[in-house]
Amino acid sequence: MPPFFQRLGALAYKELLHMLRDQQVIYLALGMPLVMLLLFGYAVSFDVDELPIAVLDHDGSAAARRLVRGLEASDAFVVRDRVREAAAIEALMRRGTIRAGVVIPAGFARRLARGEQASYQLLLDGADGTTARIALGYAFGATAAAASDAGRGAVPLLEPRVRALFNPALRSALFIVPGLAAVIIGILAVLMSTITVAREWERGSMEQLFATPVDRLAVVLGKLLPYVAIGLLQLLLVLTAGAWLFGVPLRGSLATLLAAAVLFLAGVLGQGLLISMVTRNQQVATQLGAISGVLPNLLLSGFIFPPDNMPLPLRVLSHAVPARYMVAVMRGVLLQGQRLPQLWPQFLGLALVAAAFLTISTLAFRRSLD
Amino acid sequence: MPDATPTPSAPAQSAPAASAPAIVAEQLTRRFGEFVAVRDVSFKVARGEIFGYLGANGAGKSTTIRMLCGLLAPTAGRATVAGADVARDPERVKRAIGYMSQRFSLYLDLRVRENLEFFGGAYGLGGAALARRIDALLERVELAAQGDVRTGDLPGGLRQRVALIAAMLHEPAILFLDEPTAGVAPAARRTFWRLIRELAAGGTTVFVTTHYMDEAEYCHRIGMMTAGRLVALDTPAALKREHLAGSMFLVEGPQVAAALPELRRHPGVLGAQPFGAAAHLRVDPARLDGARLQRLLADGAHGALRARSVEPSLEDVFLALVEER
Repeated sequence: MPPFFQRLGALAYKELLHMLRDQQVIYLALGMPLVMLLLFGYAVSFDVDELPIAVLDHDGSAAARRLVRGLEASDAFVVRDRVREAAAIEALMRRGTIRAGVVIPAGFARRLARGEQASYQLLLDGADGTTARIALGYAFGATAAAASDAGRGAVPLLEPRVRALFNPALRSALFIVPGLAAVIIGILAVLMSTITVAREWERGSMEQLFATPVDRLAVVLGKLLPYVAIGLLQLLLVLTAGAWLFGVPLRGSLATLLAAAVLFLAGVLGQGLLISMVTRNQQVATQLGAISGVLPNLLLSGFIFPPDNMPLPLRVLSHAVPARYMVAVMRGVLLQGQRLPQLWPQFLGLALVAAAFLTISTLAFRRSLD
Repeated sequence: MPDATPTPSAPAQSAPAASAPAIVAEQLTRRFGEFVAVRDVSFKVARGEIFGYLGANGAGKSTTIRMLCGLLAPTAGRATVAGADVARDPERVKRAIGYMSQRFSLYLDLRVRENLEFFGGAYGLGGAALARRIDALLERVELAAQGDVRTGDLPGGLRQRVALIAAMLHEPAILFLDEPTAGVAPAARRTFWRLIRELAAGGTTVFVTTHYMDEAEYCHRIGMMTAGRLVALDTPAALKREHLAGSMFLVEGPQVAAALPELRRHPGVLGAQPFGAAAHLRVDPARLDGARLQRLLADGAHGALRARSVEPSLEDVFLALVEER
């Protein structure tokens, strides 16, 4: 075997032994993804169920009752109270009894019957903008359905028939879990890799290593390989749990996903190693790793906020975040069944970022004690 | 500095005849900002020689060794190790040497054999040849039974032997040992030095730093460092001859430390240094003979002191050198 591979093998095997001997690493590597999947998968939900509402019906007509029934039929709303005056809605909302109010004006049915445009008022709790926006969406759908019933024989209304492809029920778990898997793995990879080099500096073994003829590429790759293996294991674990708990499908090819994951892991691990090499201190490295691992992965990856909607500087910055490409690959492969021809921009992005981080960390890795 | 280890009675065998030197340092200098850690250090070490580098902590010993191992670039001056320039060709230096750093930095969570396999791999060794070499070395340092022990579970003295063979796996011509016996029990230190002498007898050049003066007696030649300078360089015997004129006495008594300033001022006293609980007193026999010395000690203001003639040690040399400066 050429000496380079002999050295690389020795370094990677040694790193693997460190990992296997350290139970904390095992818990962190395999327990954390599951905990985070459960937390995010169940807690971060963009679904709205049985939002309590109050109804103020000034009309008292069959059409008004049909509208309220239509709202309730979506399961998004449940009528908690019927009130006599508008002020009562605000009072109930402030007390937290209801999250939205519906005011149907007098003459609602008459206008509909005459084929005129009728309107009702939807009062939303703007203090919780996310819920309000989702409630608004449901209300539009329910109103359109009620309007088509009411408008029989009258002027046909322009009616959208919405069908969400790939996630017909618009379940947020389906949308969240694929992105979440990428984010979890990215965060853990940065956290685990930041301490490895710093630890060797602190314990003095780095000095011993430098006195041997190992070159820095072998050190960087030797650190990388075992963590890539752990990362792939985490990915499979999260995907299995996601399929089992949340019914997340795998519509594309697993091989494509794993290939992207290798590039992704190389990028995030390169980021962690760079931090570790520059700081040479476990404590500082851990803190920097936590910040630079969590924030970009969570905020700039498109996991929650689509990068296209970000302000320009952040959008530019997001191109250096490997998770941005991986989140897209995960959703594309799992939900849309995308294949390489559609995913090549993501693959290119992953490869470029990984190459950049690894090159910088290899160059930043000085094999001397200066 | 002195401890329970008895000073070896016989000095090490004389240094082998120098052919092409294994290590050459010429005006080697290293600065860290304003601080000069090593200043204008020059010496040569012959093949098969045990070269001891002595000095207090912070005197520049580790900085010198790191420059010679190609780990730290010299600020000025030059050095060649095994014929390779340490600044221009550190990789060739690294292949030719074995280095045991101050903390004998093994991976404590790995087993002994795993550590050795790792460092063997780092030197590009592997397979059955490496396994045989590890077996032979473990056998040689009497650790054959400990191969599967977690390195962190070994006592310091045994761990130090593992670190030594980790540095010897690739059969280096030159071994650099930085404080190899720091924190190791006296008995283990003696065993370790027996190994070092065997290695040197087999042709390996050994460059070793220590702050245990008693260990320095095992070396063929000794360099003494204080504050970044190499202040003396010779065989142990020559160092004592040159720097310790007069006769040496061990002075004991309950208040010996308090008596030292007064003794130093007395005519004929060349030096007086605390030595453990006692003191070493160096006198010019022409001016202060045995009988007058005994009288001086008996009549002192600090109670009765007893003196007996002793062989000077390297610690006396070191203290005399520090005092001279």
